[in-house]
Amino acid sequence: MAQKWRKMTNIVETKDITKIYKRYKKKDGLKGSIAGLWKREYEEKAAVRQMNLTIEEGEFIGLIGPNGAGKTTLIKMLTGIIAPTSGEINVLGFYPNDMKNAYKKQYAVVMGQKSQLFFELTVNDTLRLFKEIYEIKEEEFQKNKAYFSRLFEVEELMNVQVRTLSLGERMKMELIVALLHNPKILFLDEPTIGLDAIASKQIRKFLREVNEERGTTILLTSHYMEDIKALCDRSVVINHGLLIYDGKTKDLFDKYQLSKRITAVFDHPVAELKLKKDGVDVILEGEYKKIYNVQKDMTKAVLAEIMQYEPDDISIEEEEIGAVVERIYREGSAVYE
Amino acid sequence: MNKYREIAKIYMKAQLVWRADVIFNMVFTIAKIIFAYLIWSIIFEAKSRVGEFTFFGMMSYYIVNSFLSQLEMSPRISNEINQRIRNGTFSKYMIVPVNVEGYFAAMEAGIVLFYFIFDLIAAAVWILIFRIQFVFTRDLLTIVCAVLMILIGLVFMVQLNFFLGLLTLKYQGIGTFLMIKDNLVSLVTGSIIPLALFPELVVRIMKFLPFYYVTYLPSMLLTGYNQSEALYGVGIILIWAIAMQGIIKLTWKQYIRKYDGVGI
Repeated sequence: MAQKWRKMTNIVETKDITKIYKRYKKKDGLKGSIAGLWKREYEEKAAVRQMNLTIEEGEFIGLIGPNGAGKTTLIKMLTGIIAPTSGEINVLGFYPNDMKNAYKKQYAVVMGQKSQLFFELTVNDTLRLFKEIYEIKEEEFQKNKAYFSRLFEVEELMNVQVRTLSLGERMKMELIVALLHNPKILFLDEPTIGLDAIASKQIRKFLREVNEERGTTILLTSHYMEDIKALCDRSVVINHGLLIYDGKTKDLFDKYQLSKRITAVFDHPVAELKLKKDGVDVILEGEYKKIYNVQKDMTKAVLAEIMQYEPDDISIEEEEIGAVVERIYREGSAVYE
Repeated sequence: MNKYREIAKIYMKAQLVWRADVIFNMVFTIAKIIFAYLIWSIIFEAKSRVGEFTFFGMMSYYIVNSFLSQLEMSPRISNEINQRIRNGTFSKYMIVPVNVEGYFAAMEAGIVLFYFIFDLIAAAVWILIFRIQFVFTRDLLTIVCAVLMILIGLVFMVQLNFFLGLLTLKYQGIGTFLMIKDNLVSLVTGSIIPLALFPELVVRIMKFLPFYYVTYLPSMLLTGYNQSEALYGVGIILIWAIAMQGIIKLTWKQYIRKYDGVGI
């Protein structure tokens, strides 16, 4: 199913993997709670369904999907945190859920809301711990520490208590800890969540360099289109646990991202704009702020018109991921071959 | 081995950050000794012996026992595992190349070593201030057995709490298990009242349980009592530790696949 991008080694292969969660379905109210003491009803939910995925060495892949699509479940299965209900997984020659140390030494995973840092200590303390855990030689440890702290521009923060760092700085530190042992694969689950535009941009730049300079294969999940567009040549889209697109990121956005959102802010009251173009949906028409959904091929022309009203600020956002996924799902695009 | 030493070190470093915790722990040790001193002074006012204890024998037992009890900090292991499994962050330990049980044992060792030093100072200071004629055995074999028993006992408590924490994978809530364990430990370790004051039949039953050998018997041995039980005690606690390791291995193998990592 998945594409062959380059003539390289497959380091991730999944065949028909499915993950079904069983969850307790409680009846309403106190009566339901009491009834639950004797008899409980469970329902099954398929988080990932018969997924086939192949990843080659050195790829930078974007894993896209709305909340509950199955992205994190897939990463958990690839890292061995959970076992699939059925199907086969092979990552670097290992079945991940065997949780062999030899496998754990070859990958790293960073989940936006789960930290490996010791908040009351410094990053250097955590790095020293990870040096021993991953059995990294002193020379290589020093070299990597210097390289990543320079790359992430955090040399001066290495001896600062982690709890005093900003969210963006902390995420950089999480990445340094994860990359210290030169993993072959890096799994990233929402690394830019909650970060401001500048911090997100910096993280993207660093990840690009790690992929290009070190050849680290990266699988990235993100809600932000900018992350995927800027970093990933290939995208995999999943929804309701099903793989619905696997192909070039450029093709995905060309074909399925049909509109952009333009927000214009004025420092003087502006009455309703008389935009001549079709394909413009008005989201907000205030005196000082206006928001429009504009068809992608019309963006340039609409912008030119708005500029005539001398806006104080203007921003253009990509169409949100959920809408794109919904469109692919509706049109039944399936997988690109 | 280096990795586990480094884990112990980092947790020791983490303890050093919280200075107030250290001070309060020392104060707590002192408060317990003062309280015991007052209570037993009143009891011993009317008679010179209670059971087989003299006043200073009782105080010595109390100091050693409370010192060892304070070193037994393993409940944090079951609480940490319980909380992390329930909120989905237990994976933090699963993705790094270490033995998870070894990680918790090393964590515990780091914290215990840290408090060992401070509690020892606190106990020594108060022995001097109250001019307690400290009763301590001079028999080398008894001392060796007591030390071995303390070490194996602390390892056993780590194992037990690790096991109870793992039960979260099946039962989600382990509060009842922890409550039973805590009550049993308090009673059988003699931290409420010396077991020598219990009827013989009750003590005989308690001797089959591992908790008797964690703090109670070592305290008695070090203060010169129950020396005939020294070798037997080491054997019993060792058997419990080996059995518990087997139980953990089976539980881990069977339950870890139930982990779904859902939460935050």
